[in-house]
Amino acid sequence: MTALIPDFVMLPWMAFWEGLPPLMQLLFSKTTLIVFVTVCIILTVAFTTYFERKVIGYMQGRIGPNRVGPLGLGQPFADVIKLLIKEIVVPQKSNRFLFIIAPLLSIVPALATWAVIPLNPTTVIADINAGLLYVLALTSVGVYGVILAGWATNSKYAFLGAMRSAAQIVAYEIAMGFALVGVLMAGGSLNLGDITRAQAGGVSHWFILPLLPLFLVYFISGVAETNRAPFDVAEGESEIVAGFHVEYSGVAFAVFFLAEYANMVLISALTSIFFLGGWASPFEGWTFLGAESLLREPSFFWLAVKIAFFIFVFFWLRATFPRYRYDQIMRLGWKVFIPITIVWIAVEGVMAWLRIGPWSGMAG
Amino acid sequence: MFHAILFYSFAAILVVAALGVIFARNPVHAVMFLVLAFFQSAVLWLLAEAEFLAIVLVLVYVGAVMVLFLFVVMMLDVEVEEIRGGYTRYAPLGIVIAGLMVVELAQVIWLRGKEGFAVDGFRPTPEGYSNTEALGSVLYTEHVYAFEIAAVILLLAIVAAISLTMRRRPGLKQQDIASQVAVRAQDRVRIVKMASEKPE
Amino acid sequence: MLQNYIPVLIFLGIATAIGLLLMGLGFLFGRGQKDSEKLSPYECGFEPFEDSRMKFDVRYYLVAILFIIFDLEIAFLFPWAVSLDVIGGFGLAAMGIFLAVLVVGFIYEWKKGALEWD
Repeated sequence: MTALIPDFVMLPWMAFWEGLPPLMQLLFSKTTLIVFVTVCIILTVAFTTYFERKVIGYMQGRIGPNRVGPLGLGQPFADVIKLLIKEIVVPQKSNRFLFIIAPLLSIVPALATWAVIPLNPTTVIADINAGLLYVLALTSVGVYGVILAGWATNSKYAFLGAMRSAAQIVAYEIAMGFALVGVLMAGGSLNLGDITRAQAGGVSHWFILPLLPLFLVYFISGVAETNRAPFDVAEGESEIVAGFHVEYSGVAFAVFFLAEYANMVLISALTSIFFLGGWASPFEGWTFLGAESLLREPSFFWLAVKIAFFIFVFFWLRATFPRYRYDQIMRLGWKVFIPITIVWIAVEGVMAWLRIGPWSGMAG
Repeated sequence: MFHAILFYSFAAILVVAALGVIFARNPVHAVMFLVLAFFQSAVLWLLAEAEFLAIVLVLVYVGAVMVLFLFVVMMLDVEVEEIRGGYTRYAPLGIVIAGLMVVELAQVIWLRGKEGFAVDGFRPTPEGYSNTEALGSVLYTEHVYAFEIAAVILLLAIVAAISLTMRRRPGLKQQDIASQVAVRAQDRVRIVKMASEKPE
Repeated sequence: MLQNYIPVLIFLGIATAIGLLLMGLGFLFGRGQKDSEKLSPYECGFEPFEDSRMKFDVRYYLVAILFIIFDLEIAFLFPWAVSLDVIGGFGLAAMGIFLAVLVVGFIYEWKKGALEWD
């Protein structure tokens, strides 16, 4: 990389950089990293929409988008341009300020949670001790975008959609929180990097095995939290048209859309980190791959593979299951998931006390 | 220096947001100002290195309590004019309470000042120190009594909330999954063997 | 510790900026004619004849209140799970009692039918 930049540019730049106070250096480097990560997320989201249409297309015996560019790969950009030049309609009786602020309130937490995600063994934007709490706090803020959008629109469909979605998000957040407590007991730290490091040493050390019920609860709650099929009653088009964003058009709609997909990518990343060892390679400790095989090294590549897999599962669920009924959704959240997680926390507590399993570091 | 700039700018936003809660005409705007105020106080706690408390403030107050407030405000369908009327009526009481709080605050600051607390400010914590762990190591051992009392209070809250708001509508039909699953074919369908009949 | 939180603040700022930028671009490029039909809220083909902000079922309050209680419970569980190796069996027992009390509440909810949706 350094060789690409000629010395007469590099040397003054290095001198300038060394001359900066450490705080400014930190601000500069972090801001660059943040902008880079954000752009990557947005690009990922763009191609996730393409991926979704392709996956669901093939699952239904269709081809999916194939007109724009080779293999239809230009489709996301065509969509972006279309959404950009569409008019944003702000309904007459709506509350204009809240109507415009609501999409922002759903996109900010979806992006800002990435601050604590460890991307590879050395890179994390904000290495904070309370990372897991931060994740939980920010996801709980995401509900405001939905509620405010529904209320500000002043349309019946939007209002109904918002109420449904708020009650649903709230119910599954509890199950998610309890599942995370289980992860925390196994990992012994609130720092996401430490949780990943606690799973080092091959597939058998990943938390998915001892925490299998919590893994299922967490991922399904994640699907419900993002209002994705089969839990998408908040925007069930057969009942309440499009739910809380029925009156949103153009970019205002696109921002909600971006937030929903960014949340999907986020849930996939979090599930990989909590249960599948994050950046860890599944081939760790496999000697027959050769002594210096890159496949055994922990790297961002493995995190990306796991994220892609979970995103695929999101689409798979959507293509497979019919939509749940609302009372069934609430029953699943309150009466199935919460008891499972509470029982598993108790089991883990006793196992930790008896020093069985990966959480055996307890002092008498 | 940097610390001070952060503190004063966030404190200023906090004060503005708090004023917004009082003066906003639209109750939903007032709730959003309150959310902003909670955020700013969380940042202030963070500046005081109270990491766990700061994030839990966001988690519990912004993520849960304010959602309930929003629900309440949204469906109360409050007329703005009615609130205006109540404003002057409750003003004397409000002023008395505010005065009491000012006196209490002044007292705390004065007492603290006398004992020499808070003169050298907060000492920064060492690297790798986890606020949450430190809290956990005393909350469940030294303060276990208070902790269990919290459980009882939460139980009380559950019972109170249910007995206040639970209304059963008469004549509801509900799905009973257990009985659906337990159904056997012979309960539903009766197969009758009979000889075939020949139409005359 | 504070230094670790600066990137979080920057990230929150940048995320807000991106949202604002997108919305700004939308208002810049997305010009169109507005008329009263277009600006009226969508309702299956007829004019909306009442305010859509109606009173809704008290059940939603109940869910929100129960959510607060369980959220607090989770907030109590977090420091416990982190300091499990320090507090030992005593801490485990303390949390056992705490959870048992709350499970009683949960069973009460269940039996009272507060978790039913109809």
